[in-house]
Amino acid sequence: MKINRTAKIGIFLGILPALIIYTVFAILPIIQSFFYSLMEWDGFAEMKFIGLDNFVRLFNDPIFLNSVKNNIFVVIASIFGQVPIALIIAILLNRKLKGGRIFRTVGFLPVVLSTVVISVTWSLVYNSRYGLINELLRNIGLGFLAHNWLGDTKWAMMSVLIVIIWQFVGLYLIIFLAALQNIPQEVLEAAKIDGAPEWMITWKITIPMIWDTILVAVILCISGSLKTFDLIYNMTNGGPAHATEVMAIYMFNETFKNLNYGYGSAISVFIFLFSLILIMITRKLFGRNLT
Amino acid sequence: MSLKRNLKETIIYIVLIIYAIVNVYPIIWMGINSFKSEQEFTVNQFGFPNEFVLENYENAWEIANLGVLFKNSIFITLTATFITVFLGALVAYFLSRFEFKLNKWLYTFFTFGLLLPIHATLVPMFILMKNLDLLNRPYTLLFPYIAFHLPITIFILTSFMKSFPKSIEESAMMDGCGIFRRFWSIILPMSRPALATVIILNFIYNWNEFSFALVLINNPEYQTLPLGLASFAGQFTTNYGAQMAGLTMSIIPIIIFYLIFEKNIVKGMTAGAVKD
Repeated sequence: MKINRTAKIGIFLGILPALIIYTVFAILPIIQSFFYSLMEWDGFAEMKFIGLDNFVRLFNDPIFLNSVKNNIFVVIASIFGQVPIALIIAILLNRKLKGGRIFRTVGFLPVVLSTVVISVTWSLVYNSRYGLINELLRNIGLGFLAHNWLGDTKWAMMSVLIVIIWQFVGLYLIIFLAALQNIPQEVLEAAKIDGAPEWMITWKITIPMIWDTILVAVILCISGSLKTFDLIYNMTNGGPAHATEVMAIYMFNETFKNLNYGYGSAISVFIFLFSLILIMITRKLFGRNLT
Repeated sequence: MSLKRNLKETIIYIVLIIYAIVNVYPIIWMGINSFKSEQEFTVNQFGFPNEFVLENYENAWEIANLGVLFKNSIFITLTATFITVFLGALVAYFLSRFEFKLNKWLYTFFTFGLLLPIHATLVPMFILMKNLDLLNRPYTLLFPYIAFHLPITIFILTSFMKSFPKSIEESAMMDGCGIFRRFWSIILPMSRPALATVIILNFIYNWNEFSFALVLINNPEYQTLPLGLASFAGQFTTNYGAQMAGLTMSIIPIIIFYLIFEKNIVKGMTAGAVKD
């Protein structure tokens, strides 16, 4: 639409408030973190410019590299846990079933709950003394399998990963169901008339037809897993002995517990660039047909 | 044939039921056990309570200060959602219905926010808010919540508003309606479905948000529900009953909200995720 002068002023005034809030509270912090990452600073005393020393330290810090590894575990668990489970359930649900709606409702429920609720609930479920899992194992005579799930370095990461998978399967379930329902019925009918068994139709027709959606789900898994912070913070805070520590947790503790603001900012910058690059790469690899 | 079909259907049901149980049983388990006394919980975890005890609820309500937490969460969530959607709708209106020099650039700038990982901004956000003297205020959380949810709000609303034909505003323009008038009485009412989506998205994101609250608020007076629950669980690790009661109380509103608006919520959150 063509615009005159008064309209121009109107547009300016209309966009300005959002632009200011967004720039000051979302963009500015990112820019500042680049600046702070070049400093040695405890948050109170004077800053000291130290160039790229924080980054040099970062790449030689075994605890940080361990947190990168754990982050990658989360990515892998999400892709190979959430996507296949959601896909199977979606395929099972994509037919006329009595009560099918209930499974959808129940499936999506965890997605709506706050991560804090989920992590505290699951901490109780994993509780070594009275937790649901150990109690269940004892009741069916498998008490020897009971563990201190979140307190044992051997089991902690796996226990956390299960919750991460549990939390988001429902989201992908809905995304897949929507894609499945878009497949034209004639295609499937034709295959059925030809006498193809269902597993073959699923494997040869259904899955290839929703392949784009599966790729979208994989991209979502990657960017979603990089955001993992709340859940681990509340379940283990990265422990025991850094076993479940991801980058964001390490950043948080370095900054606010050890008061290394400069070093913490360097980790922030790394997380920012890491997710940006990963998102770019996956988009390049899979094309940009996302909507 | 029909026997085979029955068998197949049975297997499908079994898989789905297992999935459903895994999905909700932890929550149901928590809800049921929140009504048991400490002693009963240790010996009878799986049954219904022999005797309904409300003590856990009284403890949780008082110790965790749930009344204050609810009040803060409701205030922050509603205010942030309202402002985000209102400002976002204005921006979306101008970006989608007008041609001007910076249009494309502004759109890219705003949607770039979709790529920002929130926790990469925790440290600089803390420093920024400290410098602006905005830590620990009743309205502190409004700033990051609005700033970080404007991108998705603008993204969804712009693509929706773009789909209207150009002609709809023309007659209004002939009548001399100003640009804000057209926004308010033509574009906004037409955008109702997309507005519902972004309102729900913002509502749920804000209601559940934890990390900004953790970093920016430590005065218990201004804690929101997720933050208060987390610190309550952290302090009273062995008071299982009270933890369960607190959690149960906090999820009841969101579950009711979910059951009423399920369709919109599911649509909004999947759209939000896919576009993120």
